Amino acid sequence: MIAEALDAVCNKWEVRRQRPFWRLVYLFAARVFRGGGDSDAEGLDLGIGLVLTLLAMPGGFVSILLLNKYGTFLQWLRGATNVDPLLVALPDEYFFIVLSMTVTGAVAVWRWDAIFPDRRDYMNLVPLPISTRTIFFANLVAVLFLVALVAFDVNAASCILFPMVVAATQSKFLFFVNFAVVHAIGVLLASVFAFFAVFSIIGLLMAVLPPRAFRRFSAYFRGVVVVCLVALLCTSFAVPQLLRRAPAPRWIALIPSCWFLGLCQSLRGRAGPVLTELSRLALPGLAIVASTALFTYVIGYRRHFVRIAEIADGSASARTRRTRRFGLLLDRLALRTPFHKAGFRFVGKTLLRSEAHRLVLTAVGGLALVLASQALMDAFDGGKSLRQAALSPDALSIPFILSFLIIVGLRVVFEIPAELRSNWIFQLMTDPDGQECTGLARRVILILVLPWLFIIAVPVYVYLEGWLIASLHTLLVVTWALLLTNIVLIRFRKIPFTCTLPLFKQHSFVTMLSGCFGFLIYAVSTPEFESSALAEPLRLLSLAPFALVLWYIPYYLGTSSTELERRLIFEESPTQTIEALRLGD
Amino acid sequence: MLEAVHLTKRYASLPAVQDLSFSLRPGQVLGCLGPNGSGKSTTVKMLTGLLQPTRGTVQFDGHNIQEDLAAYRKLLGYVPEEPHLYPYLSGWEYLELIGTLRGMERAYLGKKIDSLLELFSLHPSRHATIGSYSKGMRQRILLIAAIMDDPEIFIFDEPLSGLDVTSALIFKNLVQALGHQGKLVFYCSHVLEVVEKICSDVLILRKGVVIAQDSVENIGHILGQSLENTFLHLVDDVDTMTVARDIVSVMKTKAA
Repeated sequence: MIAEALDAVCNKWEVRRQRPFWRLVYLFAARVFRGGGDSDAEGLDLGIGLVLTLLAMPGGFVSILLLNKYGTFLQWLRGATNVDPLLVALPDEYFFIVLSMTVTGAVAVWRWDAIFPDRRDYMNLVPLPISTRTIFFANLVAVLFLVALVAFDVNAASCILFPMVVAATQSKFLFFVNFAVVHAIGVLLASVFAFFAVFSIIGLLMAVLPPRAFRRFSAYFRGVVVVCLVALLCTSFAVPQLLRRAPAPRWIALIPSCWFLGLCQSLRGRAGPVLTELSRLALPGLAIVASTALFTYVIGYRRHFVRIAEIADGSASARTRRTRRFGLLLDRLALRTPFHKAGFRFVGKTLLRSEAHRLVLTAVGGLALVLASQALMDAFDGGKSLRQAALSPDALSIPFILSFLIIVGLRVVFEIPAELRSNWIFQLMTDPDGQECTGLARRVILILVLPWLFIIAVPVYVYLEGWLIASLHTLLVVTWALLLTNIVLIRFRKIPFTCTLPLFKQHSFVTMLSGCFGFLIYAVSTPEFESSALAEPLRLLSLAPFALVLWYIPYYLGTSSTELERRLIFEESPTQTIEALRLGD
Repeated sequence: MLEAVHLTKRYASLPAVQDLSFSLRPGQVLGCLGPNGSGKSTTVKMLTGLLQPTRGTVQFDGHNIQEDLAAYRKLLGYVPEEPHLYPYLSGWEYLELIGTLRGMERAYLGKKIDSLLELFSLHPSRHATIGSYSKGMRQRILLIAAIMDDPEIFIFDEPLSGLDVTSALIFKNLVQALGHQGKLVFYCSHVLEVVEKICSDVLILRKGVVIAQDSVENIGHILGQSLENTFLHLVDDVDTMTVARDIVSVMKTKAA
């Protein structure tokens, strides 16, 4: 009987699922995870399962790391015996809210083009006997489903693990349930808010700008949104402290994440006057953002999708005489071989025009800017004069922070393929044993990094501290940038963007940890040492042996590798423990 | 002279091409025909050096091309079957990339690109991104990329796909002109009429094996038929009329 009923329900669902509307919903939902836009990009199509796992990971990891903070034994060791878990959890809860907003917002930015039906959808769907209204509602349902899925996925781990960690010291199960429910409400609403906020920006731009201008400026707006998201994440360092101050600054009400923190605290009955006031903004804010998103979506859909056949695709502008001159100058100074000339132009254009690459680089650049501006603010802490601040470790660290993140960011971006099927031209035209890839990658990195270092370091320090200090500081930063570039390019044997994504290997975690450790040495310890050494410049010479070792390691590894290890590759293959000789072939 | 000497290519244990041998002399336009899965694309990839044969060699002027691939590829112009191009580059930028990679002098590269774009009617859209090009426009970009450095060997894999009538006619005349200039042309296609018209010799493949190889006239004379009928006779034992009738009857099938 039950089996029959179940069968009937399943059949009914199957019939419903096969209806055109639901097939469309499925199509639109799936395309968000399987690439989009008009290009046949394969670069970052990771599959639904992997994407959802990656999105859920940050919340889970952070929750586990917090065990250290909330463990009773460790609290006892620290002498903290009477701890109020709700009070202690406030900054962490704020961090989770900000994290969920950042990750969800990043998903919306990443799949910006896939949210709206595009030219490909138009060409495939409009000739079919389906009304544009059906396409509209199907896409809308898919977007709403996506919002729910992403919000749930991003926060799933933290909604269970974080309350468990916080409630570990409590004997009542009800405390856990209460905390978990309120936390889930806060982070889920924050996620939905972030998604709709980004969605509103896209819709608003679509509604306001002409189609061609929208496509042209879309990338820049996305960059700005990414920087804002990174900045939002960075507020978790400062905002909880500001909220605890007696008169909290008024501008704090402009940060949406504070509204949702206020909401959580109000629901628990622990909100002070500031948080109570902020909590009142949460639901109206969400309603406004959601309705703006819906409204602009309708207008954007009418303006863009319905008229897509009339709209010509974007065009690249012709090269100006100035850019041509700049190109010729670069050719003469740094790019000697045809491979370097062609490769540099290819890399430059890919970085500027490929969305995936631009987004990753913008995120890294945004992080670099946020960290650099934080360092700049710290440099002026304690009422230092301009000259004192300029020689503080914080101010000296700014070019180190920028160069480290840009160099490492570029190295990471080089691994992301662009239009992989188009790499046949490089396979055909380049000499696999030519070994020019490292040279090309090094030139690209240095051309993109060194001018900025000179612009930041030289004029400021010449003006404030004179030529000697300016020269020494610039020399140190440039030397460190050169050494770091050599290190990140150890055993690099690809033309950027033309190889499949690297496989996860056992040493990947070690590489990531080395990156963090490297950042500490490069951008924290070196400026600290430099700050003290600039008083007696000869002390800087003590860095020379260290630099020599850092130069020798990549050099040694480069010369000791076999010819096969240096051969240009277009496909990452797993390391084989056993290799078949295929003697029969 | 370009020679394929006992070329064999296996994917895992599946043979794609078996013991394929032929030669291509200067001035010869060799057409390669075969149904889907006959090994045409594998043969082309081995001739370009993109794939290494499991057995056998490709030789140019008596030397194995694998010994100095870079030098061989400098002499090669290749149009692949699918127009996979970088969609975010403009047509001009893509050709500049190819020209620079081929080591062409920058002094005349720009002028040459402009002239060829003009001749292929692409000059007005030279600064538009390739993503916005039609299939025919992309195909023309590939053709320009293949010929711009005046190579000695041309390998065309379905070069007419997507081209409009005028461009196709220009291209057919171009291939014949290349043959007259003493270039080596290997031309893969499904379009029998084109092969019949522009190729001097023809190679017919089936399931990775050469089943016929001769001049276009001789192949037709042997069976006293047109190239199309000869091809069908050699390659497919399919009654095309019956299949067409079956398709129509399936189209008319309605749900019970």
